[in-house]
Amino acid sequence: MGIDATAGVIRAEVSKTLRIYFAYPVIVVFWALFPMLWVVPFVFQGRALVGSASSAAFEQLTGSGNYLAFVLIGAMVSNFVFSGIWGVGNSLREETYWGTMEYIIVSPTNLLVVLVGKTLAEALVTTGIVVLQAVIISVLPFGISFTVAKVLPVLLLVGLLMVGFYGFTIAFAGFTLLIKEVHGWTHTLEWVFFLFSPIRYPVQVNPVTQLVSRLIPLTWALVAIRGIILLNRNEVSLGRTVLILLAMDAALLVGGWLVFRWLERKTRRDGTVAMH
Amino acid sequence: MTEPGSTLEPAGREDAAALECRDVVKTFKRGRRLRRKTMKAVDGASFSIRKGELFGLLGPNGAGKTTLVRCIATLLIPDAGSIRILGRDVFKDSLWCRQRIGLLTSGERTLYWKLSARANLNFFAALYGLSGKERDKRIDYLVELLGLKEVENERLERYSSGMKQKVSVARAILHDPDLILLDEPSLGLDPQFARFIRQFIREELNQRLGKTILITTHYMDEADELCNRIAFISRGKIVDVKSPAAYKRDIPHTEVLEIRVQGQPDTRPVETLPGVERASAEFKDGVTTVKLVLPRAETALADAIELLRTGSKILGVDVKQPTLEDVFLYVTGTSLGADTTEKPDEAGGRPGADGH
Repeated sequence: MGIDATAGVIRAEVSKTLRIYFAYPVIVVFWALFPMLWVVPFVFQGRALVGSASSAAFEQLTGSGNYLAFVLIGAMVSNFVFSGIWGVGNSLREETYWGTMEYIIVSPTNLLVVLVGKTLAEALVTTGIVVLQAVIISVLPFGISFTVAKVLPVLLLVGLLMVGFYGFTIAFAGFTLLIKEVHGWTHTLEWVFFLFSPIRYPVQVNPVTQLVSRLIPLTWALVAIRGIILLNRNEVSLGRTVLILLAMDAALLVGGWLVFRWLERKTRRDGTVAMH
Repeated sequence: MTEPGSTLEPAGREDAAALECRDVVKTFKRGRRLRRKTMKAVDGASFSIRKGELFGLLGPNGAGKTTLVRCIATLLIPDAGSIRILGRDVFKDSLWCRQRIGLLTSGERTLYWKLSARANLNFFAALYGLSGKERDKRIDYLVELLGLKEVENERLERYSSGMKQKVSVARAILHDPDLILLDEPSLGLDPQFARFIRQFIREELNQRLGKTILITTHYMDEADELCNRIAFISRGKIVDVKSPAAYKRDIPHTEVLEIRVQGQPDTRPVETLPGVERASAEFKDGVTTVKLVLPRAETALADAIELLRTGSKILGVDVKQPTLEDVFLYVTGTSLGADTTEKPDEAGGRPGADGH
């Protein structure tokens, strides 16, 4: 299959996924509002514990006392990660439920190309949602402002984060072909990320979480993004973070592809590839 | 006896068989570690199909038909044997072979219900490298041909089962494949749609377009009506390959005694009556249907009725000329209505055995 045909498959997959996604318009409202509502209890909890919108102890750990902004940025960036796990990781499971998986496999298109289309569709939807969130956050008094000088490096970091992360979700998609269960594993992964990356709290509070967090690209991206938005420290850490994320992306993409290919072949050998 | 296999053809030869299966074996492991069992779903299946032939795989549920079709379609990787399409190995040249295969399975849940027929066909067309005007022209032709023009932009969730199956047919032939695999194509359809599908397969796909077709079915009438040749498959083995007429001609007896009895009596004494060559008993909806294949039905009629009416009520007696179903019973010793799926344990049945 040539480049044109491959691009055609990706376009068709994106179009199909978005059409099905928007066949349930309420879900868009859910994904746009829920992550915001999810933050509110942490804000109230922080205020109850600290007594104000800023904390000296928090500032010692992160460089900024604005824990509210810290949590909001964590919520927005992690949105990409979690929707990726749900969207891409779950996508092949959805195809098995719809009964369409067999027809994708028997086509002359590599399943990985279809997954790239699914990933792109997911990234488009999530980007739309996060942009909407960013607009809401920037007009509300949370102490976060988005300028072009800040947005461009943040976009670069988010892009690099997602490339590697989608490598991981492609492996996870292969894993779902094997295990035939997604919800439990997705929730488990979510909590692993919550625990070992600085989404809700600075991982420096515990030496184990601090150590493990270094293996997760989300940690590097979040630290750099917060540095840019909250501390105006883009020049210092951006280059190093970009290099680290590039290395992690390469490992995750290659690893994800190999794991997926192995699991897809294994399930075809076991006769369970299209089962749900 | 299985049809003699030809020698393996080199890739791309014009005179290569449309499909050639040689000694295909597929086993499944099921159950927990200590209780793990191995089941042979396909056991050394060999047959070949000529270009333009309408070939049937006839066997009861669990015989291995669907597993074999899934191996041919590259959905499953066999443990042993080779499968060649137009001389090329389906696993070594899988993308080339997939481009030449069209697949249709039973069941209406094989399409995107939230999309229209056209949107579904657009998506699958892209998977086969069709785009732009070529794709639109092909889809226009197919929706017209299958009578979907009026509803092509409606979501499939509003379609009847038969209409959905028409869209599935359109998808199977969208990329103009050389070999069409039809796995129980009329299963679950109402008689009118089943008739339409059969007619479309024979007249449009096979006779007019000259497509090579492999159809699996456990409906004897369907196989008899459609196929040039039929392979009997039982417990994963290809038992015989012949034309329907040759099967009927070769059967060395002429009559089938069919007795319907209320309840589920012990039919073993009847099955061992003198002269009975093959026998089967099927229990359905509170009625047992006993079939005895023998040279002359009247020789066993009185004794059979006498034995069966002890404790049961005879509902009907019929003497028939052998059908393809009776031939199948004679050749394999298994009724087409039987379920021969192995059930090793609570872990579930055989994958690919007519559904998943």
